[in-house]
Amino acid sequence: MRRAPSPLLSAANGAFLALWVFAAAFPFAWMALLSLRAPVDAFAQPPLLFAPVTFSHFYQVWVVDGFWHQAINSAVITLGTVGISLSIGCLAAYGLARYRGSLGFWLLMAALVFRAMPHVVLLTAYKPAFFQLGLWNRYETLIVVLVAINQPFTIWMLRGFFVNIPAELDEAALVDGCTRLQAFRRVIMPVMWPGVITAGLFSFLLAYNDYLISSQLMNGDHMTMTAALSNYMNSNDDAVKLLRGIAGAVSVCIPLIFLILFFQRQIVAGLVQGAVKG
Amino acid sequence: MNTRSFAGFVAPSVVAMVLLILAPLIGTAWLSIHEGYVKTELAEVRTVVPLFGGLTRVEVQKVPQAVRDADGRPVRIWNYVGLDNYGNVLRIDRLAAGLSAAAAGGVDWITQLYRDITTIEFWSALEFSLLYIAATTPCVLLLGFTVALAVDRTAKRIRGALIFASLLPFIITPVVGALSIYWLFLDGAVVNAALQALGFSKFYFLSTATSIRSLIILYGVWHVTPFAFVVLYAGLQTLPQDALEAAEVDGATAWQRLRFVTVPHLAPLFAFVTLIHVMDAYRVFEPVLVFGSNLYANSLQYMTYRILNLEDNYSKAAAASLLTVAGILVLLVPMLRRTWREHRAA
Repeated sequence: MRRAPSPLLSAANGAFLALWVFAAAFPFAWMALLSLRAPVDAFAQPPLLFAPVTFSHFYQVWVVDGFWHQAINSAVITLGTVGISLSIGCLAAYGLARYRGSLGFWLLMAALVFRAMPHVVLLTAYKPAFFQLGLWNRYETLIVVLVAINQPFTIWMLRGFFVNIPAELDEAALVDGCTRLQAFRRVIMPVMWPGVITAGLFSFLLAYNDYLISSQLMNGDHMTMTAALSNYMNSNDDAVKLLRGIAGAVSVCIPLIFLILFFQRQIVAGLVQGAVKG
Repeated sequence: MNTRSFAGFVAPSVVAMVLLILAPLIGTAWLSIHEGYVKTELAEVRTVVPLFGGLTRVEVQKVPQAVRDADGRPVRIWNYVGLDNYGNVLRIDRLAAGLSAAAAGGVDWITQLYRDITTIEFWSALEFSLLYIAATTPCVLLLGFTVALAVDRTAKRIRGALIFASLLPFIITPVVGALSIYWLFLDGAVVNAALQALGFSKFYFLSTATSIRSLIILYGVWHVTPFAFVVLYAGLQTLPQDALEAAEVDGATAWQRLRFVTVPHLAPLFAFVTLIHVMDAYRVFEPVLVFGSNLYANSLQYMTYRILNLEDNYSKAAAASLLTVAGILVLLVPMLRRTWREHRAA
């Protein structure tokens, strides 16, 4: 048994954690607070903890500036990316988990290098190519691009989950007369849901959080929420516009907060997954 | 599984990666050694200029105009230019001039050399990218480990809430996270107001290079610490309890148990976090964009983004991109080599 820690140490521990939680959450909490205030209260000297609440910035951003439109774009792009990423990622990851040859190893190494690619490198080639091909500013283009960028990470993560499923399971199915594809669909996928959900969450985060590619490949009516925040950047001198930007940023956070609330366990599992499997 | 069905399973994923990652890389490499321009020709433009009394005069001017193809798109000509684009990015000439000035000596030759080199966009971007990696990595590991230890010591029922709050900076959109920090440090915003309320003088965080760079690094630590925390915290749950107890029986202090049992047990996880973080920190983009002024802080990815967007120069952007990729490969080599050795051994 470990000895009970000294009260002094416990107090220091608690104080440190309180400080950390404050540092982690304060920027978001303050942003949420400002988004509900009139400009005069938001930048009062000294800063106010309590002030009258107004929803006018949210109204401005969502209705007048048309953020609802960008929210729909974000939903289409994100869900499309997650769906396709998981479908083709599961197939590839299952193949990689069950195949013994060294081809699989090389594919994983290539994926690791691809994962490290700065996205602007790819963008440099996309820009002239998509422009020539007339693929600019289309949902399909951005979805397919995000799927591809996501693949290296997705197959690494899903492979980790497939490796943990005993090979006897699909071998039994093969003996019973299933083809590989049938064994995969009927026997393996039903026990793979935890892995699929975790990988899906990370695909979701990548697509939803992406700024660089989304802001470059889409414009006007097709912009995603995250990319649309650029409209409000560099408006520090205009308190009204700045507060609209803050309301927009808070809006972008809300789905993510729910995501963490509901899927905390899976997110943690996903982050740890890579560490365990290397 | 035989090779044939393996190929079938991985095909869709491989096709996606080849078409949208590998092919663009090759395309970028091609762009980086070519220079494009829109082909123009002199076209005669006739304008009818009114004189007086209803009289007119026809003026003929020769104006350069883009040559268009059958679809009406301007025709672009690509010329092979060798390594010119790389030269434009690296500015070896200015580097050499700076070095020879330094070799000639002088009172302050180090400062002068540093200034000469960092006024070149590429080298200053490289400098800050490396500084960002070097400054954030140890802080992330240390802070993440401390948080993991602290959470591991608290009561089980509040750990869920602690993990929730800790995940926020990591999960929430990087642009939004960077903006949320940025907005705290605006001239009239809460940090300055609090400083003034406490009797300090106002500090303009966003107008000096040092403070902007420090804020970007602060953001980086804040953003990635949760990742280190979660991974190390999971590692703490798998600590060998018998080894810890044996150490305690042998009279090891808490510090010694930490130093000689816990840390060695977590060593692979520290390595993993470092690897992932270095890979991601090297391509830092969002905070530089948000705190953005390439005069104060620049990163390789942000520099390329600017060349692509503001200079609209694909070839130069491609050269900058490939130089960035070269850096990635250098960073990845030790890691790939280790995996290769393990693969050989297996």
